[in-house]
Amino acid sequence: MTQEEYKKGILDRLSDKLVDVIASFISLFKKDWKKKNRSKMEEWKLMLYALNRSPPGLIGLILIGMFIFLGIFGPSIAPWSYRYFPVFENMSTYLAPPGTEAYLPFSEKTITYPLGADHYGRDLVSLILYGARTSFVISIIVILLGVPLGIILGLIAGYYGGKIDELIMRITDMFLAFPALILAIAFSAVLPERLQGFINNHEFFESLFLKIFALQPQEAGNLGKLLAVILAMVIVWWPAYARITRGSTLTEREKLYVEAAKAIGLSSRTIMFKHILPNIIGPILVYITLDFGGVILMEAGLSFLSLGATPPIADWGRIVYDGSQYFPEKWWLVTFSGFMILLVALGWNLLGDTLRDILDPKMRRSIEFKVKKQKQMEQMEKEGEENV
Amino acid sequence: MSEPILEVRDLTVHFYTYAGIVKAIEDVSFDVYKGETFALVGETGCGKSVTSRAFTQLIESPGRIVKGKVIYHKEDGSTIDLLKLDEEEVRKIRGKEVAYIFQDPHASLDPLYTVGHQIAEAMVVHNTVKDWKEGFRKAVDILRRVLIPDPENRVKNYPHELSGGMKQRVVIGTGISNNPRILIADEPTTALDVTVQAQILELMNKLKREYNTTLILITHNMGVVAEMADRVAVMYAGKIAEIGSVDQIFKNPLHPYTQGLLRAVPNPLAKIERLDAIPGTVPNLIKPPKGCRFHPRCPHATEACRKEVPKLKEIEPGHFVACHLY
Amino acid sequence: MMEPLLKVENLKKYFPVRGLLRTIGYVKAVDDVSFTINRGETFGLVGESGCGKTTTGRTILRLVEPTSGKIIFNGKDVTKIRGEEMKEFRRRAQIMFQDPYSSLNPRQTVFEVIMEPVRFHGIPVDDPEEFVIKLLESVGLNEMHLYRYPHEFSGGQRQRIALARLLALKPEFIVLDEPTSALDVSVQANILNMLKDLQKKYGFTYLFISHDLGVVKYMSHRMGVMYLGKLVEVGPAEKIFENPLHPYTQMLLSAIPVPDPDLARELKAKRMNVEGEPPSPINPPQGCHFHPRCPFAKAGLCDKKEPPLIEVEKDHYVACWLYAKS
Ligand SMILES: Nc1ncnc2c1ncn2[C@@H]1O[C@H](COP(=O)(O)OP(=O)(O)O)[C@@H](O)[C@H]1O
Ligand SMILES: Nc1ncnc2c1ncn2[C@@H]1O[C@H](COP(=O)(O)OP(=O)(O)O)[C@@H](O)[C@H]1O
Ligand SMILES: [Mg+2]
Ligand SMILES: [Mg+2]
Repeated sequence: MTQEEYKKGILDRLSDKLVDVIASFISLFKKDWKKKNRSKMEEWKLMLYALNRSPPGLIGLILIGMFIFLGIFGPSIAPWSYRYFPVFENMSTYLAPPGTEAYLPFSEKTITYPLGADHYGRDLVSLILYGARTSFVISIIVILLGVPLGIILGLIAGYYGGKIDELIMRITDMFLAFPALILAIAFSAVLPERLQGFINNHEFFESLFLKIFALQPQEAGNLGKLLAVILAMVIVWWPAYARITRGSTLTEREKLYVEAAKAIGLSSRTIMFKHILPNIIGPILVYITLDFGGVILMEAGLSFLSLGATPPIADWGRIVYDGSQYFPEKWWLVTFSGFMILLVALGWNLLGDTLRDILDPKMRRSIEFKVKKQKQMEQMEKEGEENV
Repeated sequence: MSEPILEVRDLTVHFYTYAGIVKAIEDVSFDVYKGETFALVGETGCGKSVTSRAFTQLIESPGRIVKGKVIYHKEDGSTIDLLKLDEEEVRKIRGKEVAYIFQDPHASLDPLYTVGHQIAEAMVVHNTVKDWKEGFRKAVDILRRVLIPDPENRVKNYPHELSGGMKQRVVIGTGISNNPRILIADEPTTALDVTVQAQILELMNKLKREYNTTLILITHNMGVVAEMADRVAVMYAGKIAEIGSVDQIFKNPLHPYTQGLLRAVPNPLAKIERLDAIPGTVPNLIKPPKGCRFHPRCPHATEACRKEVPKLKEIEPGHFVACHLY
Repeated sequence: MMEPLLKVENLKKYFPVRGLLRTIGYVKAVDDVSFTINRGETFGLVGESGCGKTTTGRTILRLVEPTSGKIIFNGKDVTKIRGEEMKEFRRRAQIMFQDPYSSLNPRQTVFEVIMEPVRFHGIPVDDPEEFVIKLLESVGLNEMHLYRYPHEFSGGQRQRIALARLLALKPEFIVLDEPTSALDVSVQANILNMLKDLQKKYGFTYLFISHDLGVVKYMSHRMGVMYLGKLVEVGPAEKIFENPLHPYTQMLLSAIPVPDPDLARELKAKRMNVEGEPPSPINPPQGCHFHPRCPFAKAGLCDKKEPPLIEVEKDHYVACWLYAKS
């Protein structure tokens, strides 16, 4: 390895800058934050530096960046609404192949299909853009609800042990005993009516969910099914997190710093969340990243089984399902939306794998040495002479 | 005059790690005489284990023996350089003529085999015994020699069925099973309690007398050195600081490090008002201090100490020191 | 002057040993231990590994709940206290651990490590930064170390940080659980001296746990010798070293290797025969736990009845049938 290889490139300078900017920003609100967290900033810079050295990680990051962008802005940049059905105006738009142009007599517009159309004559590009929002929101809600639930239960089980542990883990085992997909199917089938009832009675939630899914008011009656899959996935998602968190907690709570915290008098809650959690969060973070892809895949799978998003709500899994009936002659529906699912799942996985490497202290240390070999050595030498 | 059995010359071992080249030991030279107990002392990380492992090329990647000679005087009077041998030849020496005992008895024994099996294996590998059957028979003898009660039954025990002290006896048994001429014990009692340590040290003394083995004892415990050793080499940061007889080292320590080390040990039989601590810590061996490696912590350091590496000089017969003060 | 700060009375801690379905026995880690520590003194606790020293320390601080017994701290039994009283006890009684590598949270900077207990206990400080720097300086570290993480420090430095954290709370009583046994001798001397200095300055009371007799002698005013969960001898450290009464204490003392070759040779001749290893605390021997290893054991007495702890000379207690009437 040459010295050259580890010089800071444009990307590294950019990521360093990014950390500095974020730090300065926080410093605006918290006095001296920058000074007190020098070590932390160094660590972040090193992580980014390591990320910059990992092509798969960068590809993953770009893919995820694009997905998030589409998830947020997709519906706004979609040329056509998902609730606009050209097939009623012009029969030739029915499953029109990519590249077709058609004139819509009632609205007096010409529509082009870069990626083809579905059986309502809807533009596939627009559907994919709307579908991005659906997948994005679903995966975020599932992770945001399922993961903390699992982590909290796992922490409690691992930290207290004994009967509490026994109880939580038996329940967890019960959930884990069934294949996740089967369980999710069962819940998605049972839950919709109740949820629909709830939505119908609470206007606030109705408009909230319509808004975040970028749906039009006509879809209110379909929210129940959509929320049912989300809830079903939350239910099947937490047990895995409870289990890994408990495992790490069990090893971590034996460490002396936990006992030192007890000796100070800190409450169990503080010890669990302030001391143990930060030390076990690394591997969990990797899981979360990988699981974003998993949620999207499962959601697509459930939609494919016609659970969850009901037509005409745009959803990648649903498009694949609908398209499969016309496959392979009308190949574009399955291919393009399938490809999107693949890309996003791939992106999360690449990112997760890279994260695993970056968060591994050994790995990071090796990079650390490569980056600041000279500085490090000098510091070590200085310390060796001066202290203790 | 005592004759050498091992002459170590300019032994240098480096580890090539991502952080840089760890100069674990540099230009280590000393003689070990036939039949004596030679102690290698120093604090953690000063290179004791690396030195002893290098004798029979037991240095694993990323380490490499950079230079040096280890002249071994065979039984018949001929000499060979152990570092020049190839893997096959050195394996014939290792375990047979030069045997090792390591610190942790739990890690040195395989939990899947009986202790008899493990002792027999050591002999079978070196053809000291005709077959496994004779090996097992001999194993009982060996357990008796290391003072394990009821050896006929103990030989069938698995390591987990034995206490820590018993395990270390078995490890010693494995070490002496081929009647080695040199026994290298690397911190053999560090993991044990004092009462057990006393028993193990006594056992090693007894075996050494019985078989006239040369014992190279590696330890950081000055008490153990005083009890066991005939001659002592003090190591600091990968280099030899001082060599001499036990009496020379303990009564007339020359190197400031040796002096500091002796003053830092709380002697349970003496009344000590205040321990003299050595300031500072052991240096990093990737970029060790220039000149004498001890100079940043030395109360007598001069300009010369910062610049020049001190050579090992003989101050009185058999008493060598590497220090610019002399 | 000789005012007791801590009185431990008949303290017991049994850990259940779980079989497949139910508890099949108990590890009697601490079994009916009583002693007193006076304000401002260091009480040493020695014994071989597994004899219950750490458990004693942790139980006194209620880091594990005692099975039975009283812990009277400042005239008040702390075995039942909760809430605010407990919080106050936590501030006044602290512990320093053996392993410097796991006793600091790797995710907290030195500043956070030290400020956390201060904030939790609501100790008023004007300028936290200044406050922490002062503390760091009092343990030999400095400002430069303020915002670093534990992994950037050596073992000795970490113990200093742990110490600074304790000092921040201005406790009265500190359990020191082998604070230097993971460190090298030269670093150990630094830490021991610092502990002594701090005691002089702030009037701390220490429970000093160690398996190293030399260190205990150096640190302690009074001491106790533990064997298999029981205190076998208690008294002023000087007296115990000069005139050990219990055969186990005698055995321990004669087993320590002394860092003095002349003395070692002299002692070798009149050494007591050191035998056996401590048995498992799950099924300790009947009567006096030490009798199977004791050269003076009287059949029919020592193996039947447990000896009481009696005062043989002023403030010097021993639990042995050699000194008690049955
Ligand atoms: N496998 C290794 N990789 C890198 N450095 C090593 C390795 N083994 C030993 N060293 C280095 O060599 C030096 C000497 O180690 P060692 O001989 O084990 O010390 P001792 O036995 O005196 O405690 C240490 O500074 C250690 O960091
Ligand atoms: N949490 C625990 N659960 C079960 N047994 C324990 C526990 N802690 C300690 N022990 C047992 O109690 C005995 C005393 O242990 P300890 O107090 O750590 O001894 P020491 O500190 O003297 O080495 C040992 O046999 C140990 O195995
Ligand atoms: Mg070693
Ligand atoms: Mg202990």
